[in-house]
Amino acid sequence: MNLAPLGLWLWGALAGLDLVALGQFMVGRPLVAGTVAGFLAGDPAAGALLGMTLELFALDVLPVGAARYPDYGPATVAGTAAAAGAPGLLGLGPGVAVALVVAYLGEWAMQVVRRRNSADVQHHRPELDAGDPASLRRLQLRGLLREAVRAALVTAVGLVLAAAVRRWLPLGVGASVLMGAVGLGVAAAVAAGGALRLSGRGGARAWFAAGLAAGALWVAAR
Amino acid sequence: MKPELLRAFARSLIVQASWNYDRMVGVGVAYVMEPLLRDLGGAQAELRYRRALTRVASFFNAHPYLTGMAAGALARAEHDGLPEAQAERLKNALIGPLGSVGDQLVWAGWLPLSAAAGLIVAATVSPPAGVAAFLLGYNAVHLGLRAWGLAIGWRSGIGVAGALAGRMLQLGVRFGALAALFAIGVALPLVLARLAEGFQARERLAALVVGGLGLVISRGLAPTVSGVKLGLLFLLSALVAGWIWR
Repeated sequence: MNLAPLGLWLWGALAGLDLVALGQFMVGRPLVAGTVAGFLAGDPAAGALLGMTLELFALDVLPVGAARYPDYGPATVAGTAAAAGAPGLLGLGPGVAVALVVAYLGEWAMQVVRRRNSADVQHHRPELDAGDPASLRRLQLRGLLREAVRAALVTAVGLVLAAAVRRWLPLGVGASVLMGAVGLGVAAAVAAGGALRLSGRGGARAWFAAGLAAGALWVAAR
Repeated sequence: MKPELLRAFARSLIVQASWNYDRMVGVGVAYVMEPLLRDLGGAQAELRYRRALTRVASFFNAHPYLTGMAAGALARAEHDGLPEAQAERLKNALIGPLGSVGDQLVWAGWLPLSAAAGLIVAATVSPPAGVAAFLLGYNAVHLGLRAWGLAIGWRSGIGVAGALAGRMLQLGVRFGALAALFAIGVALPLVLARLAEGFQARERLAALVVGGLGLVISRGLAPTVSGVKLGLLFLLSALVAGWIWR
């Protein structure tokens, strides 16, 4: 019996739960989620490839306050499932595409959960206004449960999408490689754009530029 | 360490579980603070316990890692017998600084710095080593910040603002984002070189063109388009092109 899909589903759910509700230990960051998912799917190289590429996308995100942001944990797990088993870089493009769709789905689902939490809080306003500690505990646990269900559902949809892409996406070798190159290019653009936004218009850009120069020298020296 | 503080620390790990648009993290912070209020003494202890929970649960917002600092300080203020109006002012006064310091220190500084360092190790040593470096480095500061915040809040009470002006924290706020920018700059060429190892010159050129075009779009033509949407736009275009090319 192949237990890889079950392992990927559980791992994706845990990665999604870590995003906001449980701990924020960052096990849902693409680098972590992808590397572990690669081992679970039996293709560590695909997991590492997807993890590093999607981490570039995630560098663009500042999860500040009430901002909306994509859920890259389950997304990376689904993307790895789509890419696993494909030779070389052929799985990169389809994997990134699946992951971005799932990341967006996760972002949308998080808004649904937050609205449900609001409704729950409003419904229990009398207990909260009375300072009832049991209602605080129940609200926290129900919120945690909602997030767990959200993460599990998003991962499940992602894994189904990954299976569909693996089976039906009609791409030749050339087109798959082109998609991978495009995925890599846009990931670099998103990471650089995020860094430029973070740096603002002042002298902070010099730090980014110095880093780029150091990184380029390192690559040349290797 | 006081068992109630350990309980509050454990609870702080799920402080955002009931995050919502009405009260934001208010319910969560009241949940974290509750164990610290159980041994309130003096007259009308039960009433003060409940009113303190009500006050905090009504609305609160801060960086999640620093919510423990607020919970500790507000609980200590209750133990010190701070009048209700002053406790309310303390709560409101903490929202802005705990949000902005935490966001600058962690979201704009330590997180991207750790992630970029993880990428550098993944690209130059091995992906599992990168994962280990990232998780260990990031969480050492993450958990330390949560524990320190709770302890200093509990110890300082109404004087907690002094802790936010501490030298280490201010250095982190001032230089964290700059260090992150430098690390992202180092990581980018290394990761791209590592990922492009299997590509031919033609595909590398395609990646370069897409990267340049993506940067022009995200920084100039449509700066509000998210990375996910930009990625999907390009990948969908590549999919259509690949289909025709097939």
